[in-house]
Amino acid sequence: MPGAVVAGGLARPLKLPPHLLAALVPVLVLFAALTIYCLIDLYRAESVRSIPKAAWAVIIIAVSWPIGPLAYLFFGRVRDQRRKESAPVAGVADNHAWAGADDARAGVADNHAWAGADDARAGVAAYPAAAGAAGQPIVTTTGLTRDYGGTGLFDVGLSVPRGCVYGLVGPNGAGKTTLLSILSGVRRADHGTVSLGVGRERLSVCPDVPEFDGWLTAYEVVDLARVLVASRTPGQRGDAGPVVRDALGTAGLADSANRKVGGFSRGMIQRLGLACALVSDPELLILDEPTAALDPAGRAELLNLVAAMRGTRTVIFSSHILADVQRIADQVGILRDGKLLYQGGTGDLINTYLRPSWLLRIADDAAPVTAALRNQAWATRVEPAGAGAIRVDATSIEAGEQGIPVVVAACGARQVSCEPVAADLESAFLALTGTSAMEPR
Amino acid sequence: MSQIRPGRPMNLWRLEWLRLIRTPRALALGAIFIFLGLIEPVFAKYQSQILRHVGNGVRISFPPATPAAGISSYVSEINGIGVILIVVIAAGAFTFDAHHGVATFLRTRVGSIWQLVTPRFTVNALAGAGAYLLGALAAWYETDLLIGSVPAGEMLAGVLCACVYLAFAVAVTSAAASVVRGMVGTIGLTVVVLLLLPIADTLHAVQDWLPSTLASAPVDLLNGAHLSHYLPAFGVTVAASAALLAVAVARLGAREV
Repeated sequence: MPGAVVAGGLARPLKLPPHLLAALVPVLVLFAALTIYCLIDLYRAESVRSIPKAAWAVIIIAVSWPIGPLAYLFFGRVRDQRRKESAPVAGVADNHAWAGADDARAGVADNHAWAGADDARAGVAAYPAAAGAAGQPIVTTTGLTRDYGGTGLFDVGLSVPRGCVYGLVGPNGAGKTTLLSILSGVRRADHGTVSLGVGRERLSVCPDVPEFDGWLTAYEVVDLARVLVASRTPGQRGDAGPVVRDALGTAGLADSANRKVGGFSRGMIQRLGLACALVSDPELLILDEPTAALDPAGRAELLNLVAAMRGTRTVIFSSHILADVQRIADQVGILRDGKLLYQGGTGDLINTYLRPSWLLRIADDAAPVTAALRNQAWATRVEPAGAGAIRVDATSIEAGEQGIPVVVAACGARQVSCEPVAADLESAFLALTGTSAMEPR
Repeated sequence: MSQIRPGRPMNLWRLEWLRLIRTPRALALGAIFIFLGLIEPVFAKYQSQILRHVGNGVRISFPPATPAAGISSYVSEINGIGVILIVVIAAGAFTFDAHHGVATFLRTRVGSIWQLVTPRFTVNALAGAGAYLLGALAAWYETDLLIGSVPAGEMLAGVLCACVYLAFAVAVTSAAASVVRGMVGTIGLTVVVLLLLPIADTLHAVQDWLPSTLASAPVDLLNGAHLSHYLPAFGVTVAASAALLAVAVARLGAREV
């Protein structure tokens, strides 16, 4: 018995009964092991909680065993070493640099996002083509009601065409999350029906605030998401590596795959939630406020990613950032006080509730163009807007988009730019929800 | 670009294993159970001397310590601190609904709540049993060294009974987590239920059928009780654990996030 051997040697000088010393040796070994473990952990830790590392070292060594080491384990150790936001992480470092950007910077980045997303925006951006509108509904709800005592959802009849990007917008408390939760199956409706055109295993959900166990790596989290779905889907069991890597890469987390999730910023957690949603290659993707925690550059990346999914999978996403919805959604649903006020094409909504308007800039004298525009039947108002600039209101988006270039060309003028003015979803939303003086045509 | 290390494939069993070993849970379980196993027989052996020092010379005489007393000291501490520690650790695993994001992640991906409950119950029950066994081995070693030999058969049978009781405690935790959403509430409810059982133990009519009877089996078996005496409690505990798990699955399945 090793304890007895050690005790035999120590018993005489310490004047303790040998058997008592033998009994205490394992206790001392346990304490010593615990103390050494804590000291090594403290040495390797980037930071500790409450008090400086040196103070914890003193506590571990000096405070009565095993209180000191246990106090460190439970109260001093930072379970998930959180790296500084400025830590260089290739691929996402730039995005981090935007973290905490104020509104002004957000506006600038927004413009950058527009500039960098031409392809994705084509036919989508301001007046998205109704590519998915012709598709069969993948989600249909009838009379969906969930009453939380005056708030909730009331008689919602949603119809989401297959293959479209469906933007669900509404103010806080409008019922967006409740609706998406019912579609996801984590809440139930009091009345009404939900018809899904796909099996539940082909549906992925990313909540507004994804949460994961902080002691898992990003790879493990996404792999777990994959395994859970694959276990319900025949034929999806295969080599996990490439699938998980692709999902992480798509979400911009390839370089953080081996990092513990506990050290992630909120934006990275949001990206991880998206990777988890994508790893099972869902037919229907439900994203609740997916851009809420992202910096502007990350927001633009995610919007481009979602826009690129059009036609290959159906995406329903909620957002209170109307510019995001306008940018990528070809279908839009507007919720207010639990009621679906509008559902249809984004362009149709703007056409219906707003008079489309453009700011036309001409390199030469604008007067001939102004006069020519005033003679057009579709032009409801034509006003000079400074040197070389004309504000043109039209009866419809199509009429303006088709008519303005024709008039400019007919006048032989050189067009510098032609930007839509105020004909955005936000204005339409305000008009529709009655919070603006603007009346529908 | 850094190399992605795929690692071992994930599943819900591995998730629970990692929850134990990547957090202080496993360390705390092992350290505290072994510590109590090592220290309690020492207290049992030297309680007269210890009290004499603590009590400023007041002399209290105890009968000579027996091997059963050494184990009893460990068992009584574990039935308090140890059980609470296991409940706390199990509650951390079962209260996944306390976090909306975690609940959504898991619930929208699993086919049945059984998939979530089974590994959580099994891993936590085994962890508790493993810690109890380590502590019992430490107590056995100390008792054997200081007081006297402990019969192996009775000792192992007692450990088996106690481990079944700990599994029952984990099952109670799962049912409590299906009643309340938060971790503190789950721990509180579980502890209240586990405390009520020894009170019911005072009723002689049901005494032999209660799961809490198993908790003291390691001592009683050393004091001459026969293993067959615990068969009713054993059966009730296993059945109650299964029923509690079924209740937990049913209630968690019906719960909204």
